[in-house]
Amino acid sequence: MNQLLLGQYWPGESPVHALDPRVKFLLSLALMAVVFCAGNPWALAVAALFLAVFYLIARIPPLQALRSVGPLLVLVLFTALLNVLFVQGGQVYFQWGILCISQKGLQSAGFIAVRLMLLLMAMSLLTLTTTTLDITAAFERLLRPLRRIGVPAHELGMILGIALRFLPQFAQELSNVRKAQLSRGAHLTVNPFRGGLRSLSALMVPLFSSAFRHAEILSQAMDARCYHGGEGITRLHPLRCTYRDGMACAGVALMLACVLLATIYM
Amino acid sequence: MRLEFEDVSYSYEGGEAKKKKRSGAKKAQWGNAPDAPWALRHVSFTVEPGEFLGIAGHTGSGKSTLIQHMNGLIHPTEGRVLADGESLASKEVARRVRGRVGLVFQYPETQLFAATVFDDVAFGPRNMGVPEAQIEQRVREALERVGLCFEQLKGRSPFSLSGGQQRRVAFAGVLAMNPEMLVLDEPAAGLDPKAREDFLNMISGFHAQGTTVVMVSHSMDDLAARCSRVLVLSEGEVFALGTPAEVFADGERLRSVGLGLPAPVAFAGQLRQAGFPLEAGFFTEEQLADAIARALGRAVAAREGADRR
Repeated sequence: MNQLLLGQYWPGESPVHALDPRVKFLLSLALMAVVFCAGNPWALAVAALFLAVFYLIARIPPLQALRSVGPLLVLVLFTALLNVLFVQGGQVYFQWGILCISQKGLQSAGFIAVRLMLLLMAMSLLTLTTTTLDITAAFERLLRPLRRIGVPAHELGMILGIALRFLPQFAQELSNVRKAQLSRGAHLTVNPFRGGLRSLSALMVPLFSSAFRHAEILSQAMDARCYHGGEGITRLHPLRCTYRDGMACAGVALMLACVLLATIYM
Repeated sequence: MRLEFEDVSYSYEGGEAKKKKRSGAKKAQWGNAPDAPWALRHVSFTVEPGEFLGIAGHTGSGKSTLIQHMNGLIHPTEGRVLADGESLASKEVARRVRGRVGLVFQYPETQLFAATVFDDVAFGPRNMGVPEAQIEQRVREALERVGLCFEQLKGRSPFSLSGGQQRRVAFAGVLAMNPEMLVLDEPAAGLDPKAREDFLNMISGFHAQGTTVVMVSHSMDDLAARCSRVLVLSEGEVFALGTPAEVFADGERLRSVGLGLPAPVAFAGQLRQAGFPLEAGFFTEEQLADAIARALGRAVAAREGADRR
């Protein structure tokens, strides 16, 4: 329940963990773009190879890497299935009514599935090697230029951080409330909507009132520690770019070049 | 109703835990290892009809997991839970048992949700299919049993009440189902001493009226003073089970699993160590006072006897 959708932080001391979170944030976006650039299976294989090397450098066990995208595998399978059924052409292997499985369908399904998997793996490389605190800091810092046009960068970062912090907490509380209402005979297991609004509100009202309670306590705790917004706040560990970040950028650039070459010449 | 636990084991990893070796889990420095594969292991005992069973144990010893088995919220990974001989693994049985076993979670006031106290208390009986004509009677009785005034509170929002009142309303919500067995997880947690005493007296009152009570508590004093039997859990296993006199007899052994002794027992132990002749086998303040009075009486009688000679 308390697992986020993408990979949960996997503590480690690898060079990838040590990268500046801002750079890592941008590079993970770049990685996804590169995966999208791969236009044929060869290019995709090259991208997969590079991604595998990045995971190796990050010293994340292969099983953990796969598990981190586990909850989203359904999405991948669903997309693949749609492709099998709707892309037609080439040799037909199986036909039953309007269902038709053809060579092209299978090819495009495989291609899409691998591409989606790589995308998810690229995203979860960031969440696996970066604490939520660092992701929030990077997010805030990257938004800062937008402050000139009135974007409240610090506040947005704070909101993101608090939301991430309380997600597992609320998942836990929801499970507790659910059990309590089940004990009072609520028919929640079958279909929350069939029991009408009453059954649904039996879950949502306690959850919301607890959210308000948490918000109040949290704001008092922040007040008590003299929180006054982003002005003049310094960081205990200032974000600093090092030679490592340069190497990481070079690595991703190399990957982009290889993928583009494979797309054009293969 | 008899509730029988037959060699129950439970793991939050489901069947996965069976594959792991028991030795694979790291031993925690204190308390219970967070990555131990089993939350409960080989638990067997019976809740007899009409008894007041206390459950004690260190944080993470499996108390909450255990009581969630009592109305089929979770099912054993291995073993069985039987209500009057029927296994709770069957959905049909579990549904019926939920009306007969009232489970009150920790801080139950956080589960209030309805617009009025009346609707909140009526939630349970309505779910059980009690006819609407009887609902008002049920709600009135339940509120009165927890010492609240039906006329005064029925139309108010539960969120406008004080913390202590909220807890009573939440409690009434479970009582309104007329359960024959009450399972309470730390019912007095977070209450001030006066409210705490009132609340526990109320629970003892339910027991006196014939309700079976199972109470989880950190307070050894509460358990010693009120329970007819005490079950001590440690690392998911039954560590001790018996009358308070039996369970609290060996203080060193209890301390080894992170539990203390009831204050009167601990005090009696110190007196005995200091050379004060005190008999064993008591655990409430009154009994301690009586025992001290008897011991002093004996001493006085002995001295008078010596003087006369």
